[in-house]
Amino acid sequence: MKRNFLTRAGAGILSLVMLLGLAACGGDTNGETAGGGDSGEKTKLYVVNWKDYASDDKELMAAFEEEYNCEIVNTYMESEEQLLTSLKTASEGSIDVCLPNCTILPAAIEAGLLKEIDTSKLDNFFKLYERFQSQKECVGEDGKMYAVPFVWGSTAIAYNTELMSEAPTTLASLFDEQYAGKITIRDDYNDAVMAAAIVLGQDPAAPSDLDAIKDLLIKQKPLNRTYWQTGDEFSKLFAGGQIEFGMMWSGQAATMKNEGEPIAFVVPEDGAIGWVDNWAIASGSQNEELAYAFINYMISKDVQYNWATKGGPAPANQEAAEAVDPEYAAACGMDEDSLNRLYFMAYQDDATKAKWAELWTEVKAS
Amino acid sequence: MEHKKRRLLTLPAVGWLLVFTVLPLLIMLFYSVQADDGSGFTFANYLRFFSKGMYLKLTGRTIVWAVLVTVFSLLIAYPLAYILAKKLKGARGIILVLIIIPFFTNQLVRIYSWLIFLQDGGVLNRLLGALGLSSGDTLGILYTQAAVIIGLVHAYFPYMVITIYMALERMDDAMLEASASLGATKMTTFRRVVFPASMPGVVSGILIVFVPCLGTFVEPRILGGTDGMVIGTVIEDQFTELYGWNFGAAIAFLLLAMVLLSMMAISKWGRRYDV
Repeated sequence: MKRNFLTRAGAGILSLVMLLGLAACGGDTNGETAGGGDSGEKTKLYVVNWKDYASDDKELMAAFEEEYNCEIVNTYMESEEQLLTSLKTASEGSIDVCLPNCTILPAAIEAGLLKEIDTSKLDNFFKLYERFQSQKECVGEDGKMYAVPFVWGSTAIAYNTELMSEAPTTLASLFDEQYAGKITIRDDYNDAVMAAAIVLGQDPAAPSDLDAIKDLLIKQKPLNRTYWQTGDEFSKLFAGGQIEFGMMWSGQAATMKNEGEPIAFVVPEDGAIGWVDNWAIASGSQNEELAYAFINYMISKDVQYNWATKGGPAPANQEAAEAVDPEYAAACGMDEDSLNRLYFMAYQDDATKAKWAELWTEVKAS
Repeated sequence: MEHKKRRLLTLPAVGWLLVFTVLPLLIMLFYSVQADDGSGFTFANYLRFFSKGMYLKLTGRTIVWAVLVTVFSLLIAYPLAYILAKKLKGARGIILVLIIIPFFTNQLVRIYSWLIFLQDGGVLNRLLGALGLSSGDTLGILYTQAAVIIGLVHAYFPYMVITIYMALERMDDAMLEASASLGATKMTTFRRVVFPASMPGVVSGILIVFVPCLGTFVEPRILGGTDGMVIGTVIEDQFTELYGWNFGAAIAFLLLAMVLLSMMAISKWGRRYDV
């Protein structure tokens, strides 16, 4: 009799929870939308890209769609790994152009998922910063080019200008006991290991002494107010005055500044972490010529300048970068000095990733 | 014939269980014994869990937190359920709805509310300051174990209120009168009559609070600061950040084993009151 009660009470609550769960799932229906398509005769260019990342900006893309009488169909990616999976499983012609970053490019090239790129077909290629013209991850082991740098950004230091009278000028200040309780770094094994490597003078792309990195991170742990993980968490920490400075993405710092937060972004003297997004043509593309035109357009001075001033990341096109108001560029860490101080995130194999992640778990469990 | 028909009726339910519970579990089991390099069957993923002190440490932390949340939930829920079932007759409906409201609040909204409430210079801090109960402008609750426990208790204690309330509500008040007429004090009545009668509710409440706490990771991460890592976080990272599905599946299975063991232990303990 009473046992019966227990199961009934349990079942009642379970069904309540499931009902709520279903309701929660139902609310989340904001799917992705592909371009409208008024006349059916236009050529379609299938682009895989981040959401709100230039190629789905009607204003930026209008000129291109008109000139080539085509329609850009965007599919959104959620992570680099997911892009890799999409490329592997895509049917012939379903992806033309995509935007891998340097951490997965070598894997994509090695798996034969990308077409070789003939840079002589891209007028604007030679307007990129020289360092981006020879970005080593874009070049396959056969010495051929497979991708073209598009934009770059950094994970460096953002600070609250109302709480700090002087800007923290080194990455090492994240490890300085003087600021105990006022710091936040990201709960991310890659950022943590690379930052510690930079401070210890090791090569952040291939750290030599992981034990020293672990010890440094364990020592740094109590200095943090907390670790942050999503951009939203950082915003709340910042807005609540819970931290004075911390590791932050250049893009979000720029957005927060535009929203009127007292935030400033610095790429410190001793360096910070950088990333590069690159356009590549999928090996199954049936629209190679249009894909070239698209990439050439995306790295043109106009598009790069317009997007950068609209709050986009830093342009790889040098002319575009130089046209951006120097004050704005410096405040967003997209000036050339900042660029030269960055250590770019490189491709790491699965074993290395697992090792770094385990190190970071050890730090957090300590 | 009649019997056969009735068995056919269970087919949808059994099919559902097979496809959406048993099959996924088997797939997970399969992953958990695969080597990362694709070389086939291995126990390495399970051994890896036990070879590093940190995974055991995080598991220990998770269990301690789950126990604390369960105990605090019980301490809050029992008196509430008792008052609801035995003292309040009129306003019961409204109060039950109020208690259930946390269910209807999005988990993140609930957690962020605690964040804003508990943070230094936050609502609680200022309130205590105004009452002269706290000095200075740092409260120091947020980003500690206490904040995690508070957040989790708030999320889970309503389940406990409901199960205990249901048990007490079913209890015949005549039993209380009988106990009193036989000379028992209020305390004795509670100890010998009320509490044993509410045990089924207490046991299912404990199960319903303790088990999900073992797998939770959002509250600890947001409210727990730098020490907010639990075993659920490790599993999440393996699946979402590292593509370490094999190891992730192995830990998930170990967690499942823990859950089943604790469920068995709790219901065995509860069965003593079942007769």
